[in-house]
Amino acid sequence: MTGSVLLQWVLASLPEIVVVVGACALLILGQLLPKGQGYFLVWGSIAVVLAAALATLLLAGQTQPAYMDMFIADRFAVFFKAVFYLATVLTFLLSRRYAEIEGIESSEYYVLLLFALSGMMIMASAVDLLSIYVGLELMALCTYVLTGFLRSERRSNEAALKYVVLGGAATGVFLYGVSLVYGVTGTTRLDGLAAAVATSAGDPGLLLAVVFIVAGLAFKVGAVPFHMWVPDVYEGAPTTITAFMSVAPKAAGFAVILRVFLNPLVTASNAWIIIAVIAVVTMALGSFVALVQDNIKRLLAYSSIAHAGFAMFGVVAGGADGIASVMLYLLIYAFMNLGIFATVILMRNGDFSGEAIDDYRGLAKSHPGLALLMLLYLFSLAGIPPTAGFFAKFYVLVALVERGFVGLAVIAVLLSAVAAYFYIRIVMVIYMREPGEQANPALTPSVRATLALTAAGTIGIGLFPAWFLKLAQDSVFGG
Amino acid sequence: MALLSLIVFTPAVGALVLAFIRNEQTVRWTALGFTALDFVLAVMMLAGFDATTHAMQFTEARPWVPALGITYALGVDGISVLFVFLTALLGWICVLASWTAIESKVKEFMISLLVMQSLMLGVFCALDLFLFYVFWEAMLIPMYIIIGVWGGEGRVYAAFKFFLYTLAGSLLFLVGVIVLYLQGGQTFDIIALSNQDIPFSVQSWLFLAFLVAFAVKVPMVPVHTWLPDAHVQAPTAGSIILAAVLLKMGAYGFLRFSLPMLPEASVYYSTAMLMLSALAIVYGGLLALAQDDLKKLVAYSSISHMGFVTLGIFTLNLRGLEGGILQMFNHGVTTGALFLFVGLIYERTHTRSIGAYGGLMKLAPVYTSFLALFALSSMALPGTNSFVGELLVLSGGFAANPAITAIAVLGALLGAAYLLGMYRKVALGPVRLPGGAKVRDVNARELIAILPLAVLVFWVGLYPKPFLGIIDASVKHLLVRVHGEGSGQ
Repeated sequence: MTGSVLLQWVLASLPEIVVVVGACALLILGQLLPKGQGYFLVWGSIAVVLAAALATLLLAGQTQPAYMDMFIADRFAVFFKAVFYLATVLTFLLSRRYAEIEGIESSEYYVLLLFALSGMMIMASAVDLLSIYVGLELMALCTYVLTGFLRSERRSNEAALKYVVLGGAATGVFLYGVSLVYGVTGTTRLDGLAAAVATSAGDPGLLLAVVFIVAGLAFKVGAVPFHMWVPDVYEGAPTTITAFMSVAPKAAGFAVILRVFLNPLVTASNAWIIIAVIAVVTMALGSFVALVQDNIKRLLAYSSIAHAGFAMFGVVAGGADGIASVMLYLLIYAFMNLGIFATVILMRNGDFSGEAIDDYRGLAKSHPGLALLMLLYLFSLAGIPPTAGFFAKFYVLVALVERGFVGLAVIAVLLSAVAAYFYIRIVMVIYMREPGEQANPALTPSVRATLALTAAGTIGIGLFPAWFLKLAQDSVFGG
Repeated sequence: MALLSLIVFTPAVGALVLAFIRNEQTVRWTALGFTALDFVLAVMMLAGFDATTHAMQFTEARPWVPALGITYALGVDGISVLFVFLTALLGWICVLASWTAIESKVKEFMISLLVMQSLMLGVFCALDLFLFYVFWEAMLIPMYIIIGVWGGEGRVYAAFKFFLYTLAGSLLFLVGVIVLYLQGGQTFDIIALSNQDIPFSVQSWLFLAFLVAFAVKVPMVPVHTWLPDAHVQAPTAGSIILAAVLLKMGAYGFLRFSLPMLPEASVYYSTAMLMLSALAIVYGGLLALAQDDLKKLVAYSSISHMGFVTLGIFTLNLRGLEGGILQMFNHGVTTGALFLFVGLIYERTHTRSIGAYGGLMKLAPVYTSFLALFALSSMALPGTNSFVGELLVLSGGFAANPAITAIAVLGALLGAAYLLGMYRKVALGPVRLPGGAKVRDVNARELIAILPLAVLVFWVGLYPKPFLGIIDASVKHLLVRVHGEGSGQ
């Protein structure tokens, strides 16, 4: 190995290196800082992410394989990394005040988020089952700890434990699938796997391996039947972490799913049937169970299951439009879901939890601006134009119908009509009920900035989707 | 000059301006100012409209999402121009109708009303299917809020029902739109799609998908059950908008999409559609006959009257279609006015029960005279607008299918029964008022809201030529498209 090759590898993975080095530096600095210097950590972490974003921007537009073809820096990865950066920065902005209120201010919180970010970045760039595994575990281990960060609260502890146990099992299943792949084909590279699937689709060992890998990945995106952890973990985790988990790790999981299953060779096989079944059940379960939730975090957990189902329809469609539709969906979902979570987070103040849907009654009277923003996010999540959520769904449907899956498209829209019910139920509580106990939203400048950015994304992409659509279409791999 | 964009977005700009105004009275006047300005613009459009051609006029087109062939395209032809005018007219009438009826959150109400106004105008002007869908679906948001926040006691249930019915219908329409987009050469251009030849099997499915969306909006029996709830619970302005404009959109959808884009399927399903229309006419009329609630009565009469509209459209001949379209306009004027009248009396006495009233004629002679006028118009008395419309529809209907049309005539009789019955109980006989309430006659503000509608009743009733002239060329073009060249009589 020559120096120039090494240099090229380092360059290709520069963003990941920036994040990891930055996280390590903050870990040390965090121990040296006197108490009450939380803002330094927030801005330091944001600076690290921005530096990584800058590095990513410098790399954008070229395709660079690295580390003996286990890793690739391409436009597809850049798109997903942008989603991760967005989600992470917004989570940092939301965390400052929330961490103060919950008493969980410590440098580890920010450092773990940064490590989780680096894990997701590796997932987006990985083109080998082993490097996927490394990224997946890095991300997962950090989120396990973050879930249990409310040390004195039982719900949080229970959620963390549940998440570790189930997550460990899922990873084990995934790893078992990887070992089977290696046993059958002698390679762990994705294109090798795709070639094997295309030539010997009937091989029972390989089929078992694919099923195991699907199971492991479905767990990460919270797809049925591997969704059981989602409501408990979302409810128990600190709300900022819930917001983060509902967007970024989910997007990372989809990045891997797209890479594994939408290789042109795999698309030719019948693997889509498995995904189609998962998509339908996921969306159905998420939409119907969300109807009866009283806790807004649990409701959003089921809503995120339903959205994973809808995005999964894009995976079923496949092809360039299918891939682009999933990518655009995840980007838009990041904006609107972080937006709605931001409103949930800022309701937490003093003794007020803001977790029961009833806590929001009459919000339109006491805080009309906030209520209007919630209305925007909720209608976007329900997929009503002119919000971005509509365009996300629309493009997935175009991709589906283009492939001739009209029946699936009909199922998808009918289920999203069901889902619309629980979103507009919250709107009803906000606008059509008399105010009860007065909430005192914790509106800090950084929270306001988050709201502004997410609202701009939610309405902006809805009204002017052309640029974002083109970005997603240009970032499709293997183009 | 982008006149249509101006017309569509003037109310939206008004809504934006309102957000910065605190004083309630200023809010009312500003809302009135913007809707009146919009009406002036609509009159300018009507004045500049060339009725001799079926082509789209005042067209604008700008690329919006080029990768998917979506453009921001607006334009009006003889069919849509009438409804742009009607919507703009009712805009300021609705503001006047809510002047004192809305007591809480006036600003929020006016903003919702103006946003709604923009979206409705957008629906009638859109020449791009995607743009149309965006306007069409986005209307759910302000309407849900209007019914749910400012409505009566059962408003939440009514708002939900309205939202979910319409959403479920429109989502199937969305899938249909996407199929049409891919079948018709990856374009959302309504004009281009209206000239595509799509295989009959596809047309047939698309027709059914479109039917679900449009039938819910019209509404046709059996998907009409959201309407009475929504109408009864909505505030007066909401009811006027619902009856006068929203219901028209279903029928407009048939005219703009089903007929020109799916001509063979339209012919194939026309008899079934005629039967459903006749069913709506008779069933709606019978239900209206049994109501004691004034608003419910008008709401069910709407179902019956919209049956005449769909009956006219699916006769697929010149007289029927022109009658159907004219009847859409008439229904907007007459039923809009009737809801306004129910709102006026409800504002004074806070009850809508017909049985609670009596002898109103002696207390409020102006009110009852105008009520009589609009009730007579609603039952299609000769000399009023609906007579012309219904006559055309029925004569078209007898040419298309005499048996079904004969049943529909029964509906006209029912109309006379429930409207005259209502008028007799409310206006005539000994004076009776609920709970010792006092009633004052209409004031100047209310009279200003009523007068243009009364003028239109007589204008269309006595001299319908200008109105029929506007739609004539477009309808003939539509018929050529449906039946093929040389058959347009």
